[in-house]
Amino acid sequence: MNNNRQSQQNKMRQLRLVTTWEFMQFFKWKQEIISKLIMVGIAAMVLIWQNVKDDSEPSYQIAIMASNSEYALPENIAQFSFVPSTDSLESLTAQLNEDLVYDAVLLQEVDINGQRKISIFSHEKLAWLNTLQQTLSKHYSITFAEKLGLKEHQLTVLTTPATFELKYMDESIRTDDGASSTNAIAMIILLAIGVFTAFGQLFAGVTGEKQQRVTEQLYSCVSAQTWIDGKILGQILHGLKAMTSSAITGLLSYAFFSVVINNQSLSFAFINWSLLPWLFVFALAGLYLCTAFMAAIAAAIDDPNHSAKTSLMLLPLVPMILTFLSMDSPSGWALSFLSYFPLTAFAAMPVRMSLIEVPIWQPLISLGLMLILCFWVRGAAGRLFKMGMIMYGKEPTLKDMLRWTIKSG
Amino acid sequence: MELVISQVSKSYANVVAINNLSFSVSQGEIFALLGPNGAGKSSIIRMITGFTKPDSGKIKLEIDGQVYDAIPSHQLGYLPEDRGLYPEKTLLKNILYFAQLNGMQKESALTEADKWLESFDLLERKNDQLKSLSKGNQQKVQLITAVIHNPSWVILDEPFSGLDPVNQEKVVDFLSELTAKGMTVILSAHQMAMVEKLAKRILLMNKGEAVFYGNLTDFQKQEEGQTKVRVTFAAAINKNTATSILETLDHQWINECKLEIALNADRSLNDLLAELPTLGEVVKVQSEQLDLHQLYLQAITKHGVPADE
Repeated sequence: MNNNRQSQQNKMRQLRLVTTWEFMQFFKWKQEIISKLIMVGIAAMVLIWQNVKDDSEPSYQIAIMASNSEYALPENIAQFSFVPSTDSLESLTAQLNEDLVYDAVLLQEVDINGQRKISIFSHEKLAWLNTLQQTLSKHYSITFAEKLGLKEHQLTVLTTPATFELKYMDESIRTDDGASSTNAIAMIILLAIGVFTAFGQLFAGVTGEKQQRVTEQLYSCVSAQTWIDGKILGQILHGLKAMTSSAITGLLSYAFFSVVINNQSLSFAFINWSLLPWLFVFALAGLYLCTAFMAAIAAAIDDPNHSAKTSLMLLPLVPMILTFLSMDSPSGWALSFLSYFPLTAFAAMPVRMSLIEVPIWQPLISLGLMLILCFWVRGAAGRLFKMGMIMYGKEPTLKDMLRWTIKSG
Repeated sequence: MELVISQVSKSYANVVAINNLSFSVSQGEIFALLGPNGAGKSSIIRMITGFTKPDSGKIKLEIDGQVYDAIPSHQLGYLPEDRGLYPEKTLLKNILYFAQLNGMQKESALTEADKWLESFDLLERKNDQLKSLSKGNQQKVQLITAVIHNPSWVILDEPFSGLDPVNQEKVVDFLSELTAKGMTVILSAHQMAMVEKLAKRILLMNKGEAVFYGNLTDFQKQEEGQTKVRVTFAAAINKNTATSILETLDHQWINECKLEIALNADRSLNDLLAELPTLGEVVKVQSEQLDLHQLYLQAITKHGVPADE
């Protein structure tokens, strides 16, 4: 009894050591610090920009030349002040070059065919010229509509495109405002990043250790099962770290483009935060399955440059591809089946949950089935790993590998 | 505490690696596993360490009343034939990792690592990457990782390979130190001179079978008939008159004054020395006992060299 407890404690200690070793193998302090500093820098920039942008909004003086009767003189709009001028175009543009009174010169003409032609002269290409064009375009539409006897609201009706709202009889489907699809696609991308990171590093680690002949030395102190468990846990941590970093990077990029580039207020309302805990547990189970599979296959590879088994490494991508292909019909049989099938559930169920309302028992059953598979995969991958890692110079056949999933050699 | 291997057999696909092999290793001894490449040494070692299981037969080790079917990992120090560590990590990190996996606390592992590194003249390089060391020095680090946790059983598969003669002698001293600490050492090696210095008992294997198992002196006795004596006479000897004395002995004339005789179990060296002066004046007698290397070659040749040799 006492011996068993001691042995369990020893195994846990070894598991912690292997997990830490595996994690630190691919953890580079310098890179981590630099990337986190960049993230903090972007976040700080977004915050500062949001607080200072209104106060720092500049105003521009626009000179209007020899106004044609077709055009009404624009009133001062937003940050633009319009000043009529009788000076020649050359004189005004010269002033632009000297960066004196005016920021731009507006020339409003009507050609012999009655076509309106508007030219804007500026010293160089400037970001606010787009805003000026939009402002003037709206102004011209209103003034010409008034000339035609149209009221402003009639003009608005004419220029506003029809809006469509999709209503589904299946009440479980979330309102299609684009946010649920964004959440679903973001989940697939994050899962793919997590799986790729974990299994890429695991592959490099396992084949590297095999080629460096560390295997037997390690087997003499830890069981194959403890070793593979530690490796998998270490790489799952890396996968989760990569998913978190990518999510933060994505959100910061979104914030940067919204606030700094588009001058919009910052809002993360499109994110369905209630799905995050589910994404976490499904990602955990999915990463476990994929990394266990990867460890077992990588252990059977003698030379990664020449092994035919390398192509098997692409298999963990299949659940994400199938989910992506079937997400157009979230309440259809395909995504429903994939969300319960233990090999694909880790990708399909969170995506389905982001697209339709799902009763809580469904993800719980899906998780339960995945945990049963994880339990079996742990033993099978452990046996494959043990046998594969001590074979040097030759690779086991697929028949051998299938046999080892049931019984050690 | 005795490791007993009884009638163990193991096959891989259609190849018989071990065929009905039995032997035992006693606590505190240095036991040598000898044999050509492909003889089955590594296969039996992998079963003793528990990496693989025998197809038939038993491996038994009793420690504190508990019976194991292989040496338990907490009692095992192992230097594998296919060896390597983490080349990108420092010497110290490599040693500490394995020491801690073997149950040592970090503080005591640090102290022991320094001690062992110093004894191998590597202390100053402890923070260097392992890959910056020569092959021989890397092997020393690997030896340290195998024994730093003070195991009861140490299995060393080819500990001398890749080492120069000076370092081979260092490893001999190192192994003597281990047995002085009470460790049992099972050694597999091709350097017979080193084995002769260390091991009291051997198992000579070929094609997965035991060719000889027992004391090294018994092995030498078994092959005693091949002890050669070289006799030099003061003058040329008449070969016809010598026939009566030499007819039952395997002999060869080197020249008219020099004769090489291979002794057998029927004739002792004493008997021969009494008879030789009747042929002529003996000026020199050289007894050439075969060393382990020669005995090994002789025994393996008799048993049949394996196909890949």
